[in-house]
Amino acid sequence: MYNKQRERVFMLMILPAFIGFMILFIAPTAMSFFYSLTNWSVYNSTLEFVGLENFKLLFQDKKTVAAITNTIKYALLITIFQNVIAILLAVFLNKKTAGMNFVKSLVFLPAVLSILVVGFLFQYIMTSADYGLLNNIIQFFGGEPVNWLGNPKIALYSVLATQVWQWAGWSMVIYIANLKSIDSSLYEAADIDGAGPIRKFFSVTLPLLYPAVSFNILMSLIGGMKVFDVIFAMTKGGPGYATETIMTTMIREGFNSGRNAYASALAVVFFIAVFILSRIVITFLNRWERKIS
Amino acid sequence: MKKKAVTLLICMLMFATILAGCSGETKGSSEKSEDGVVKLRMMGYNPESTRATYLKYLDEQLPNVDIEFEFVALDNFNNVLNSQLQAGEGPDIIEVGGETKLLAKANYLLDLTSKEFTSKYTDSGLKPYSVDDKVYATPLQSWFEGIFYNKAIFKENNIEVPKTWDEFIAISKELSDKGIKPQIMGAQSWEPMMKQSIGLVNNEFYADEESKNFDEAFNEGEAKLAEEWLPAVKEWSRVIEEGILTEEMLGLSYDQALDQFATGKAAMWESGPWAVETIMEKNPDIELGMFPIPGKEEGDGWLIGGPGSALAINAKSEHIDEAVKVLEITATEEAQEALVKDNAGSSFLEGMAVDLGEIYEDSEGAFKAGNVYAPWTAVWTSGNPIVEAYGKSLQEVLAGVKTVEEALKDADDVNENLRNTLK
Repeated sequence: MYNKQRERVFMLMILPAFIGFMILFIAPTAMSFFYSLTNWSVYNSTLEFVGLENFKLLFQDKKTVAAITNTIKYALLITIFQNVIAILLAVFLNKKTAGMNFVKSLVFLPAVLSILVVGFLFQYIMTSADYGLLNNIIQFFGGEPVNWLGNPKIALYSVLATQVWQWAGWSMVIYIANLKSIDSSLYEAADIDGAGPIRKFFSVTLPLLYPAVSFNILMSLIGGMKVFDVIFAMTKGGPGYATETIMTTMIREGFNSGRNAYASALAVVFFIAVFILSRIVITFLNRWERKIS
Repeated sequence: MKKKAVTLLICMLMFATILAGCSGETKGSSEKSEDGVVKLRMMGYNPESTRATYLKYLDEQLPNVDIEFEFVALDNFNNVLNSQLQAGEGPDIIEVGGETKLLAKANYLLDLTSKEFTSKYTDSGLKPYSVDDKVYATPLQSWFEGIFYNKAIFKENNIEVPKTWDEFIAISKELSDKGIKPQIMGAQSWEPMMKQSIGLVNNEFYADEESKNFDEAFNEGEAKLAEEWLPAVKEWSRVIEEGILTEEMLGLSYDQALDQFATGKAAMWESGPWAVETIMEKNPDIELGMFPIPGKEEGDGWLIGGPGSALAINAKSEHIDEAVKVLEITATEEAQEALVKDNAGSSFLEGMAVDLGEIYEDSEGAFKAGNVYAPWTAVWTSGNPIVEAYGKSLQEVLAGVKTVEEALKDADDVNENLRNTLK
């Protein structure tokens, strides 16, 4: 009885935060579901129900569909690259030799910078102007200059590369923390069984990295789906629509064009896409967990 | 039990604080301060430095009004303004541009038609800010954009300022044959190609009497860019076909293009007076000139531009009388001179001439003929999103994925979509 009462008091303690959460998150989310079914616009004084009209328009608009595919492509690729690189870095840098801490912090350093700073910096490194650093290096070795941010076929991958560079170190730190917790006796046992380094990685290290892998994959997947600031700093969605993502489209349509209902519909699609994608990944990860435990 | 009561009290207190935070600031700003000075909020997307002399002048003229200038960069301006207006807390005086008609239609702006000072402006200055013959804002000085050129490079190569579009292409090719980049462009932004091509549309299409009603019909969805503008834009696209604009320029930002032009790596660059200060900072020795975009036949040429922005009054402002006073003073020659001082441009006050200086000598003919026009800010209802779509598609034209006709169709589509949205 006493416990129940105490629980009730605790519930009351979280009430302010809960109300804030309701007002600032749940309510707006529910509202955008509602508005996606209307003709709402800042410049429109009468609110009417239009049913699924906005969703129909959305999937008819090639630009928006391209933005959705770009986002999914970006999110999947960044998840793969960022984590593969981070795991490799973590395994190689998880040693106690002199200077290793310095190397580790060097790899981690970009994560400290603001995304906008990194974006503007790389805009200068990757520019096609005569002083573009990257092209100067390529030309020094006798290659042809590449139009990193101006070629619609390459631009998205150029942006992606900067983000992998920036965040791989971040994931690496989480992997290293996890690696430290792996019992060294397992490696000794593997040694006795005569396992080589590759076998040891796949049979001992990777399965036991499960907690860090699942956390990192989900984080980079959701982060990738939400990508906005780096695109804003580096390409503004261009050239043409080659690097538009769901977020940039949402801001363009919702705020610049005043098509608020349309942007709400896109937000709903986004919500569903993130939900489904993360569900798939979680199911996949759970199956993996069951297999190793 | 006592403990529980205390906890409950704390919870309620916290809750009350949250609520207080929500509703705290709705009042207060409307009350006059003790010495009778009224605070007016003016929100603009041109930085305070471009309005400094003007604001000082207002201060002297209106001792009992304290104008608080609030700068919000254009990237965010509509976003911030719209949410404030929707919450009923907008600024008293608003600097407006292309979205004026939409704001006016949604009843956010005060009708200025009957005010005396409104009639002091020329019609071309008021037209962009009128809906159904009612005026909702009065124009500040004009903005214009032409082609900057490096006089030294032109002189060294014995090149004259081009009078026709063919000459423009010819001198560009002559320069590139000599190993000089004729024109640089920060095509990573969708704006410059859009503007330059409309420069040719001004020459070939809008200069024609018969095209006078096009913009209105376009607003109504009865006329299409892909039909009417196509010949002019096709003509412009020769700069892409002839290799004067290249794909590399899609990787250049505005600042990077400015830098290349200022340091003499390119002979021409399209922009407006706002860039002059930065160019001079980078290269104080540069000999700068600007010529208007030439048409197929010899003439004065056209600049892209129009009323830069205008001042409107929030219809729900609590200090409408004071705000009207500000606009009244703005409609005097002194105030206009103060405005032009920090931001070069011509004035729309009837009978007022402004000397712009040496750089713009080559454009004088165009100014005298009144050849300054930008349809998307002047008449189009949803101008900005339409030209954005058009400009972005032109980037794809430069990248070789789309044709000029498809780019114009994209702009038509956006117009159609927005018309449906705003019905």
